[in-house]
This record gives sequence, C-alpha cells and structure tokens, in this order.
Amino acid sequence: MNNILEDEENAITMIDAHAINLGPNGMLIVNVALLSMIGWALLKTEKSITTQSDVIILSLIAIFAISGRILLDPIPNIQPVTVIVLLVGIHFGATRSIIFATSIALVSNLFIGHGLWTVYQATGWSMIGILGAIISSKIYVNSKLSINPLMYIAALCGFVFDWIVSLSALHVINPDLFLLYILSGIPFDVLHAAGNMFFVAWLAVPLSEIMTRHISIEQPSVVENFAKTRL
Amino acid sequence: MFLIASAFNSMNPMIPYASTFGIISILIYASVNKQSIAKVMATFTLVFVLITFSSASTEWNQYTNGLVDDVDDPHYGLPDSWDDKQAVCFHFPEGYTPSNLDDGRHHFDSNGTDFKIDKNWNSTGGCVGGFEGYDYGLNLFNAAVEATNSTFSYNYTQFYFGLQIDSIAGISPCAAYTCATDSSSGAYWEMLHNGAYSLVGISDLILDSNSVITWQITSY
Repeated sequence: MNNILEDEENAITMIDAHAINLGPNGMLIVNVALLSMIGWALLKTEKSITTQSDVIILSLIAIFAISGRILLDPIPNIQPVTVIVLLVGIHFGATRSIIFATSIALVSNLFIGHGLWTVYQATGWSMIGILGAIISSKIYVNSKLSINPLMYIAALCGFVFDWIVSLSALHVINPDLFLLYILSGIPFDVLHAAGNMFFVAWLAVPLSEIMTRHISIEQPSVVENFAKTRL
Repeated sequence: MFLIASAFNSMNPMIPYASTFGIISILIYASVNKQSIAKVMATFTLVFVLITFSSASTEWNQYTNGLVDDVDDPHYGLPDSWDDKQAVCFHFPEGYTPSNLDDGRHHFDSNGTDFKIDKNWNSTGGCVGGFEGYDYGLNLFNAAVEATNSTFSYNYTQFYFGLQIDSIAGISPCAAYTCATDSSSGAYWEMLHNGAYSLVGISDLILDSNSVITWQITSY
C-alpha cells in the first residue's frame, strides 16, 4: 500500500514542466518566444516613460541585448548585441556606447562564460560603438536611418568584432598561425554578419525610434552656443 | 598559377553554395517590392547560412586543415600497425601522470588492450589507436576514452564557442602549473592535430583517415 502511495507521489511530482525534455530546437523556440516577450514589454514600457533620461532607456535596451545574447546562445554567433551597440554609437555617441558595450559583455558573460575573452569582446563592441559614433552623421540623416548602408556596415562589423576577439588566441598560439586561425573561423564570421543584417533589417528602425525619443545629450549647436555665451 | 589552380580546386565544394545563394537572391530581387527587399533578403540570407552552416563549415574546415603543415610524421613513435589509422595520445606533465601510466608511454589498441610501453618516450601517458572511419574529432576522442574503460575520462565546460577540456584522467592544468586568478597566466589542455596546433577545438575538428590527436598541458 505504501509503495502505491509513493508511486502516486512520484507520478504527481513528475507532472510538471521539469519533466519535459524539449530538446535543443524546442528550447530555441522557447528562447525566441521569451525574447519576443521581452522585446514587446520593452516597446510598451518605453512608451510610458516620459523622462528624457537616456540612462533609463539605455538600461532597458541593455536588458534586451543581454537577454538576446543569452537566449540566442544555442545558435552560434547570432545575437543582437553588435547591431544594438552600433545603434547606440550612432544615437548616443562613443562614450555611452563604450559603457553600454562593456556592461553587456560583462553581464552576459556572467551567464554564458566569463574569462579573458570578456576583455576582447568588450573592446570589440566598444570599437563598433565608436564606429557608429563616427558614421552617425552619414547614416542618420534628417531623422532617418539609411538601412541599406547600415546593413553592409553591420555585416562588416561582424567580421571586425570576431577578428578583434580572435586576438585573444595570440595568448596561446604562435603568431605565425594567426592568419590561418582567422581563416578557419570565417564560417562563424559569416554567421555573425548574416545575423547582423537580419537584426538591422527588422530591429534598426524601431530601436532607432526608441533611442531618438529619449536622447538627452546636448547637441553640438547647443554646446557651441553655450560656449559662445560663456566667452 | 599552380597555387591559384590548386586553391580553386580546394575551394570547389563552396561553389555550389555560392551559386545557389546567387540564383535565389536574383529571384528574390526580381519578385519582391523595393520596400520590403531588405527584410526579405536579410531573412533569406540568415536562413540560408543557418541551413548550410554545418556542411559548409565542414568543407571549409577540411580546406583550412590542409593549409596547416603537419609536423614531421605524426605517426612517429607509434606502433607500425597504426599506420594509416587514427590515434589519440595523452601526454601528462612530469609528476602529474596517473600512477598506472607514469613508467613511460603506454599504447592501447582500439579494444583497450595495453600492449606496449615505450619507456624512452620523452613524456609519460598513453596513446589509444588503431581506429578507422572517424570523421569528427570528438567522436574519435570519446571512442579512445571508452576503449580504455575511462582511463582517460575527461571533464569539460561547454562554452558558446565549443568545449573546453578542464581535466583528463583527473589532471587539471592548474594543478600542474600556477594559474593567476586574473587569467594573465595559466595553463590549459592543448590539442595538436597531426603534430600541429589545431586551429579549431575538438568539437569542430574534421579528421583525416590517419589523424593523430595529441593532448598535452601547455602553460602561457
């Protein structure tokens, strides 16, 4: 009798989500669904924010970027961080993009693996942010983002980021082998580039709109006027 | 000219992928309106790359593996019966070799029989060989571990870039060498393929019919 009760208890314990083995594809679908929910919540939350503080909106976008990197981890080298950092560089400038990039590299790596490579990833994404700040005036013209050039730049950024991170291999391999090392990683670079193009095509416009609604950085003309009045 | 011709021949397997991508891209350009072309093309590109990644990556690995010069004869010192067959060697640092393997380099056949000890080899440990038909490094590695009843069982960490081998036969690199907490110096299980440093990890390694994988601890 006791055995039957124990069996029933075990049966009840087994009827919960922990007993379901979804497999890698099932988990990927769950992760994409979770990321979509976070993205939807981000859009809704952003509309209710009335403050012009860019810190709040950057924090919300960082949550989306970190979640995207962690949840899309099963697909090698496909994640939205590179494109988001590029957009942050375009809209918020180099300094903020460096803080943003470094924080995302550190926090996401606490979940998927932190080590020496975090420094290289933070450096790589910071360089992407700086690039975004440099090309900002050419990509974002008359309050409109030029999507096609941005797609090509984002694809290029996939390669550049991967090559910067690959520099970490010089800690362990002979420099003579470095070019071959880069060459062997090209399929993964292509994945990163294709993912970046996809994220630019689908996310760049909505994310750009969200970012521009909350920019509190003083425009250069304002700074110039301020400087003149000071003088 | 010969180099260009040989490079073209080596890259031939990639041409079907590029051709298929080109043809479908042209069809998309011709049939989709300009407003949604970026989204359609970007989605198609990503799906195409994801679908073809496994096979294209395998072809590319074989191509890049061919560019690495093998160091002398990777089968040097291994039993003649293993010529043209695959093998996995485990070399341990002095003082950190499992006690049953510290008298030289042991040689196990693919059934796990320890049939030869090379006491003059310059490192201690063991080689498991005589395997045939393995295409992937991880499969050969696991076959070698299983053949020896887990004498060379390993622990690993799955990172997004692949597997990192943490210990083999219970020996972790930082037990044999000093590892700084900030990772500025340390040690790791290094993998050689046919005597040369492997450009890809064990989970991405494509094998030759006579590949020799060597594991050894290296400090940096």
